[in-house]
Amino acid sequence: MSVIYLMFIAGAVASLLLYKFQKAAAYIGFGIPAAASLYGIWFFFTNLTGTSELVVQFPVMAAKFTLDPLGAFFSLVISLVGFAASIYGIHYAEEYRESVSIGAMGFFFNLFMAFMLMVVSASHVFWFMVFWELMTLASFFLIHFNDSEKTSKATILYMVIAHVGGAAILAGMLLMSSAAGSFYFQDFKGAGVGPVLATVLFLLFFFGFGSKAGVFPIHVWLPEAHPAAPSHVSALMSAVMIKTAIYGIIRTCMWLPLNEWWGIMIIVFGALSALLGVLYALTQHDTKALLAYHSVENIGIILLGCGVGFYGMATGNAILAAAGFIGGLYHVINHATFKGLLFLGAGSVIFRTHTKDMEILGGLGRKMPLTAFAFLIGAMAISALPPLNGFVSEWFTYQSLIQAALGSGVAGTIIFTMAIVALALTGVLAVMCFVKVYSVIFTGTPRDEKIWEHAKESPVLMVAGMFVLVAACVALGLGAPYAASKIIGVTTSITGSGFDAAAGISVKAVSGSVVSPVLITIIFVSMIFVPIIFTMVFKDSTSTMRTTKPWACGAKYSSRMQITASPFTGFLRQTMNWLYRSEVHFEETNGYFGKVKYSSHAKDIWWDIIYVPIIKGFSGLSQMLSVIQNGRMQIYASYVLIMLAVFIILAIFG
Amino acid sequence: MKSSDILYLIIQVIAIILISPLLDGVKRIMIAKFQSRRGPADIFQTYRDIIKLFKRSETMPECGTWVFRTAPYLMFAIMATVIAVLPIMHSGSALSAAADLFLIVYLFALMRFVFGVASVDSGNPFAGIGGSREQMVALFVEPTIILSSVVVVFPAGGLTNLVEIKNFVSSPQILKVLPVFIFSGVAFLFATYVETGKKPFDVAEAEQEIQEGLLAEYAGKRLALAHGALILKQIAIVGLFITIYIPWPVVGNPFVSLVLFLIKLVVFYYFASFVEGVSTRLRIGDTRLAASGAFALAFISLILFVIGRVG
Repeated sequence: MSVIYLMFIAGAVASLLLYKFQKAAAYIGFGIPAAASLYGIWFFFTNLTGTSELVVQFPVMAAKFTLDPLGAFFSLVISLVGFAASIYGIHYAEEYRESVSIGAMGFFFNLFMAFMLMVVSASHVFWFMVFWELMTLASFFLIHFNDSEKTSKATILYMVIAHVGGAAILAGMLLMSSAAGSFYFQDFKGAGVGPVLATVLFLLFFFGFGSKAGVFPIHVWLPEAHPAAPSHVSALMSAVMIKTAIYGIIRTCMWLPLNEWWGIMIIVFGALSALLGVLYALTQHDTKALLAYHSVENIGIILLGCGVGFYGMATGNAILAAAGFIGGLYHVINHATFKGLLFLGAGSVIFRTHTKDMEILGGLGRKMPLTAFAFLIGAMAISALPPLNGFVSEWFTYQSLIQAALGSGVAGTIIFTMAIVALALTGVLAVMCFVKVYSVIFTGTPRDEKIWEHAKESPVLMVAGMFVLVAACVALGLGAPYAASKIIGVTTSITGSGFDAAAGISVKAVSGSVVSPVLITIIFVSMIFVPIIFTMVFKDSTSTMRTTKPWACGAKYSSRMQITASPFTGFLRQTMNWLYRSEVHFEETNGYFGKVKYSSHAKDIWWDIIYVPIIKGFSGLSQMLSVIQNGRMQIYASYVLIMLAVFIILAIFG
Repeated sequence: MKSSDILYLIIQVIAIILISPLLDGVKRIMIAKFQSRRGPADIFQTYRDIIKLFKRSETMPECGTWVFRTAPYLMFAIMATVIAVLPIMHSGSALSAAADLFLIVYLFALMRFVFGVASVDSGNPFAGIGGSREQMVALFVEPTIILSSVVVVFPAGGLTNLVEIKNFVSSPQILKVLPVFIFSGVAFLFATYVETGKKPFDVAEAEQEIQEGLLAEYAGKRLALAHGALILKQIAIVGLFITIYIPWPVVGNPFVSLVLFLIKLVVFYYFASFVEGVSTRLRIGDTRLAASGAFALAFISLILFVIGRVG
């Protein structure tokens, strides 16, 4: 464990030393974390069951790291995506050769990886908080490598929300440690926390970590900050960093005496995040902002699984809890792989086209076939299409929600069933969204010839980085029984008892239902032969294939006729306008026959509902406070005098 | 795994694929009758149409990538897979890992994904609209399909394998939850009908309105396969409904089961043709209203289930 951490720190130092040599810095600064992550994948995978400890003596306070199965699982996820992002980064850093120091970028990248790994293994309140904040800081600097006005706004929003969340977590941690009389995590479990304090702690932890995870309604920073970062960093932030928050929720809430309503509350927030995340994703034109909204959605799906887990723990049904957590944790690793993949794919497109706006792309599948294929696999996996990995974890989540609904009262049954419906709706909308993203970027005719002419396949290491994750998506889908049997080991370490999640080539839910991605693939592949046989039987030897322009009712075809991203979701935006409140701008520029400008932008109304009043409140408060701090020297001097007088009076009479 | 199950699976899927154009032919004649037209010469017209298409040469939009080229094969194979795993002839446990309710629902999603990407890939303005509408229709019916089938899964102990659901529904225990079952059945039936893309819900491949959407750009053998895939999709979704809600009469002989299944299909097609023959296409907004009604029915069945369990 220490070797891996030291490798990342060595990578950071080496990368910083090479700040004058851009090319070498790229190879060393991203090569070392690639090697460290590769070793990490092997190390954390082999240590998924045991517990190991590491104590580092610092002058003031010893740092203690404990790697239990839960921590090892999250470390594995971090290493897996870190590996792909690092080798991708070696070539992707070229994009920044002119503008920034790649050495500095490698420095922060290495530190970011190291701090994430340390967060999930730190087992002391002080060090956990230190690494938590350092992780945020490292990502803050990484976002700033794309320097623009928008970036500054995004990072400030990110920092504010991260700090409010951090403060909530710190308050929770301190309350917890004062109740337990210790700063070490191992003493927290069963610390005898009263029901009122437990509820306060739960709310602090849930919203504190939730702010990092992007749980609705604290999701507003994600679609601002994630697109602003360089793509391989966005991949890490969106795929992995927000997962450390899920780790935090599971870790901290397990210390508390759980209440079943907390589980239901998590389910409700999960369902809301999932639905609203995907609904807002559908309205985006910016590929990366769209992917960031999908992170909100997937965090919601993870919370649905984890919510059942907490519900099961609270009602004393450890098997149900294991069923919930396996869905949640399986989705953690799945979302990490496909979201990482999609961000890397989006990064490749940006690398070659220099635009994030998908409306002016199109037809790139012919120029970048490998990127297109990788993106397609990612899109199918995130839409939970069998036999890829997203399907398996959603299937587990469905099964656990059904079991939870069966074992609860009237309100519980209805909420759990509605969560199932929300998950189904989310699935439909995700399919719609990714049909849109994939096809508008990679298929059809180019909407901007100039961009299309200059586009070509991305460099080899970037493609390699994506295909690492493609392989992971396929392996976690087809190899689901093996993966599930490993993950059930992790969940058993949380809940205390588990069930057999694998049966031969199938994965098995707690109810005994089985599903086999391998079997369905075999059937599907054999069914492919049916149409092929038909075409062979009825073949006519004289037929040849002509290529033509697409048919346009006899008019001359133009690439502007084809559907773009906004009209593809046009019906949806009409239907859902009660939520989107689109602002429509319509102007005729040049008389009756001139061009017409039309634009329609969906708003994230929660910003106006929740954040604007808070911001207004704070600025009002500052206004009021400015009365006592108005910049006049005399007034400040009189404050000092008054204070002095008060102390003298206190000293005499007190 | 029993080898007989695999044999039955193959017989079942081949038989249904070969018979599917016949059902389409029946439908065309029925609609013609309801509209007082003469219609095709006999019920085998769709066979002749498809074979003719296989022999025609093809045109291809020049912007189409491999997705567009392989889409008819993929869609056909996906729908054939769904039909293969429905427990019609085989009902043992060997294939139950492939006959899961959620798996089948997500296979339909896979079909929709391929359909949508291929639509935009064609570059055709109408096809893109069709691809988008296909997603919207799914948005309207999917909640109903999931909610109404989950309500049937609940009393069956939460087992989502179709074989188990079928066994539960055909057992006398279903009488205890009969009102739940009927409400959810009606909701599911409605969703099934919308999903088949027949009038008045014919929005994604609307012939007169958006030139049959995706199908407009295909020609020759790919058009034949895409046509076949859409017919199979109708059969698959109706087959799912029949498997869950009308498993009676239960017979042991697999061949008799297949024949019974086909008879139920023909009955469905008969009534569906009546609806299709006498109605005009709804706009997509009206589809939403109709779909909300179906969802309300499914929700009532959930409430009935909850009340029934308490009382």
